Amino acid sequence: MLAEQLINGLTLGSIYALIAIGYTLVFGVLDIINMAHGEIFMFGAFAGMLMSMKLGAPLPVAFLGSVALTAAMGYVLELLALRPLRRPSGNMEGNAGLSTLISTIGVAIILENLSLKLFGAENQPFRTSFGNVKFTIGPVNIYLIQIVILLASGVLICGLALWLKRSRSGRALRATAESPETAALMGVDTKKIITTAVVTASAMAGTAGVLVAMSFSNVGTRMGVSMGLKGLAIIVFGGMGSVNGALVGGIILGMAETLVVAYGDSGYRDAIAFVIIIGVLLLKPKGLFGQNAS
Amino acid sequence: MFLNPYYLQIGSFIAINALLGLGVYVTLSTGQLSLGSAGFMGIGAYTSAILTARYNYSIPVGVVFGALAAALSGVLIAIPSLRLRGVYLAIVTLGFGEILRVAFIRLENLTGGAIGFPGIPKLGGTILERLKASSAGARIFSSMNGNALESLLVFAILLCITLMSAAFFALQANSRVGRAFSSIEMDETAAESMGINVYYYKVLSFTQGAFVSGLAGALYGHVASYVSPADFTYHRAVEILVYAILGGAGQVMGPLVGASILTTLPEVLRFMSGYRHVLYGAIIVLSMIYRPQGLIDSETSDWLRKVFRRKRFIDGGVK
Repeated sequence: MLAEQLINGLTLGSIYALIAIGYTLVFGVLDIINMAHGEIFMFGAFAGMLMSMKLGAPLPVAFLGSVALTAAMGYVLELLALRPLRRPSGNMEGNAGLSTLISTIGVAIILENLSLKLFGAENQPFRTSFGNVKFTIGPVNIYLIQIVILLASGVLICGLALWLKRSRSGRALRATAESPETAALMGVDTKKIITTAVVTASAMAGTAGVLVAMSFSNVGTRMGVSMGLKGLAIIVFGGMGSVNGALVGGIILGMAETLVVAYGDSGYRDAIAFVIIIGVLLLKPKGLFGQNAS
Repeated sequence: MFLNPYYLQIGSFIAINALLGLGVYVTLSTGQLSLGSAGFMGIGAYTSAILTARYNYSIPVGVVFGALAAALSGVLIAIPSLRLRGVYLAIVTLGFGEILRVAFIRLENLTGGAIGFPGIPKLGGTILERLKASSAGARIFSSMNGNALESLLVFAILLCITLMSAAFFALQANSRVGRAFSSIEMDETAAESMGINVYYYKVLSFTQGAFVSGLAGALYGHVASYVSPADFTYHRAVEILVYAILGGAGQVMGPLVGASILTTLPEVLRFMSGYRHVLYGAIIVLSMIYRPQGLIDSETSDWLRKVFRRKRFIDGGVK
C-alpha cells in the first residue's frame, strides 16, 4: 500500500510546511526564531477542538475562530515581547538577536504552562462528523479529512506565495526581509510589515493546529513542542527565510516519517527530522534553498 | 537554618546549573550558539552512572570519564559543525540533543530506557560512609544530623567544583586563549588574518563547553541518584541557555548569577502554585526587555570587581 502511505506522507508534510512557513516568515523579517510558534500552534488546535466539540460550532466557524485567536496571539506577542526589544540603538552588548530569542522562549514557557492550567495534561479527543468518510479509488483509500487538509494547506500556501510575490504589501515584506533599513528609507512602514508577518505566521500556525487536530483526531498540550521542533528542523533543512524551502522540506519530512513508521522502526520517528537536517547541513551549510553568500 | 537539607539541595542544584550555564558561556565566547548542553549533560550522566553502578568504579572516576565522554562527543560535533553559523548551529545542536534523547530511550539495556536509570551511587552517602569509617570523622560528626550533613557535604563539593571552573574560565578570559576567543567572536575573518587558528579555537571552546556540561550531568546523576531521558530534553537545553543569557553571557559571573536567580525563582514563587511557571516566563520576557545584555554586563562586572578587590576575590569567586 505504498500509494496510501505516500498520501499520508503528503498530508502530514503539507501540515509541516504550514508550520515551517510561519517560522520562515518571522525569521525573514526579524532574523530570529520564534520559539513560541509551536505553542501558538497548540493553542490553535485546542481552540478549534473546544469550539467544535464543547460549543458545537460548525467546523468552518471553529476554523475561523481559531485563526482569529492565534492571529490575536501573534499580535500580542509582537507588541509585548518582540517590539520592546527592537531599539534603534543603545546599550547592546553582545548579540542583540539573542535577547529576542530568549524573550520568545519566555513567551513559550508562559503559553505552555498556561495551556497545562487551562486544558489539562491529558490528550483530548477531537471527533469530526466526517472523520470516517473515505473514498476508494481502485485499491487506494483516501479519507475526506486528508483531502480537506491538502486543499486547505494548498490554498493557503499558494495564496501566501502569490501575496508575497505580487501584492504591494508582499513586496514590502520581502524588501524588509532583505534589509529593514533600506526598506524603511524607501518608505516602507517596517513596523507594520513586521507586525503583519508575525500575525500571518501565527494565523497559519493556528490553521495548522486545527488541521493536525482533525487528522490525529486528538489534541494535547505536548504537541506544541514536538511540532515546533519539527518546524525548526524543516526551515533549517530548506534554508532560512525561503518559502519554497519550507514547502519542499515539509513534504520530504512528512514522507520520510510516514515511510519509516510504515516500513521501519516507529520508535525513531522523532529523530528522523534531525538526522536528515544534520546530513543536509553538512553538505549545504545554509540549507537546500538558502543563499550561500553570507 | 544553614543545615536545612531543602536549602542545601537548592544550593546544590544552583551549583550544577551554574556549571551548565558556564558551558553555554564558554561556547558563546567564540560566537557559537549551542543548544546541545542537555545532550552533553546526558552523556556525562549516563557514562558516570553506568561506570559506577554497573562496573563499581568510584564516583570521581565515573565523573571524570563522564565529562571526558561528553568532551569527546563535543569534538565530534564541533568539527563538522564549523561551517555552520548562528541559528543553524543552534538548531543542529538542538537536533543532536533530540537524537541523543531518542537514543537514551531506545538503548534500553544500556540506559534503562524511558523508565530511567535508578540506583546511581549517591555522592553524599559515599563520602559520609568514608568519614564515619575514620575514627576522627566519627567523633566530629556523630553529634550532627546525618541527613543535613550529607546535604552540606554535597553542596560544599559542588560549590567548590563550580567556583573552580568559574575561576578557570575567568583566568582563561584574560589569557592568550581568551583573547583569541573574543577576537573570533568579534570578527572571524579579521582574527584569521591576524594569524589566529580559528578552527582550533572554535573547536576548543565548543569542547570546553561540552566538558563542563558533561561534568555537570555526571554530578547531577550522583546527586539525584536517578536519571531518565526526560531530564535531558529540549526544555532543559533551553533553560540552560536562558541561565547564561539572562545572567549576562559576556561575563563569567553572568551564568552564575543567572543560574542562581532562575533556580531559586520557582521555589520563591511556590505560593503562586499552578501559575508560578507562567510568572517565571513573564519574568524572563521582562528582564530581556529591560536588560537585553543580561543582568551582568561589563560595567556591573567592573563595579563588583572594585567592591571585592580588597577581599582579594577573583572575578569568578564572587557569587
